[in-house]
Amino acid sequence: MAYQLYRNTTLGNSLQESLDELIQGSLNTYRFCDNVWTFVLNDVEFREVTELIKVDKVKIVACDGKNTGSNTTE
Amino acid sequence: MDQNNSLPPYAQGLASPQGAMTPGIPIFSPMMPYGTGLTPQPIQNTNSLSILEEQQRQQQQQQQQQQQQQQQQQQQQQQQQQQAVAAAAGTSGQAPQLFHSQTLTTAPLPGTTPLYPSPMTPMTPITPATPASESSGIVPQLQNIVSTVNLGCKLDLKTIALRARNAEYNPKRFAAVIMRIREPRTTALIFSSGKMVCTGAKSEEQSRLAARKYARVVQKLGFPAKFLDFKIQNMVGSCDVKFPIRLEGLVLTHQQFSSYEPELFPGLIYRMIKPRIVLLIFVSGKVVLTGAKVRAEIYEAFENIYPILKGFRKTT
Repeated sequence: MAYQLYRNTTLGNSLQESLDELIQGSLNTYRFCDNVWTFVLNDVEFREVTELIKVDKVKIVACDGKNTGSNTTE
Repeated sequence: MDQNNSLPPYAQGLASPQGAMTPGIPIFSPMMPYGTGLTPQPIQNTNSLSILEEQQRQQQQQQQQQQQQQQQQQQQQQQQQQQAVAAAAGTSGQAPQLFHSQTLTTAPLPGTTPLYPSPMTPMTPITPATPASESSGIVPQLQNIVSTVNLGCKLDLKTIALRARNAEYNPKRFAAVIMRIREPRTTALIFSSGKMVCTGAKSEEQSRLAARKYARVVQKLGFPAKFLDFKIQNMVGSCDVKFPIRLEGLVLTHQQFSSYEPELFPGLIYRMIKPRIVLLIFVSGKVVLTGAKVRAEIYEAFENIYPILKGFRKTT
């Protein structure tokens, strides 16, 4: 079996910080599919100059800002 | 000569059950199957992905290991008694070497008293002409295990990425779903063929348990996942010899095994032949060992390199 798997495991390992966030902080889950990131965070503080909003659960859906060309998902 | 009867202080840990994972225990004894259960055994393939069963099975394995270790301890005690008898009978001060050979190599059959407690055991010497040296007393810690398993069915990666938690799928960049779990803290690459790579575990059992957890996630999403051909592909360990090392000297004398290009990489890359392990040796005395398929290879490689490193200790 040609272990080109190993060349690509850096991809898996390099984003270990996502998991570190999971352990340290409030990141509950994350998802990346079709170039869209979805995060669910717990116990979040939104701080603006005047206001402070505390929230138990927040879902963030983020799309890429730039135009990255056509999606070629199967 | 005083240490004939009792274990030298550095090896005290070897006789205790907790010392079982150290290389001092005769893992290579022909009395015991190679690995003595410390290596992953080919398991009767339970298609059930129950985590509870997996944990129970691992506990049973640990109990078996403990029983085997107790047997080994009894053997060791018998050997020491025989050794003491022979030493009292006047065989020379080879006691340290004997102790070394008895803990690291094959044990005489229990019940026989060897005429001469001989270091000439059937085990083939690993390195040429190592001086009579004690075990290093340092145990490399496993840092990463990479394993593969076949889930045995085609998978729809988009479905998995959309429905599972903590998954990433970017087919433009990489044709697999990258999934992570917290316990054991690992990352899995799941391919549409049904094959999966599991990385990041710190022990063989954890790697297997993590792989089973991923397989169960996939199963719960509706795929007929099985758990076929689980195999550990690579193990990485690290340790610290606690003294600085003269890498230049080491590369000069061990040219055929070493490569050291400080402008490219600050560590010396030592490719040991037996066992087939690659070691990264740094000036600070830290050593990384990789390329092992079983834990014993890491321990063996370190025990081989330790006397060599001692010879290249920096004195300034």
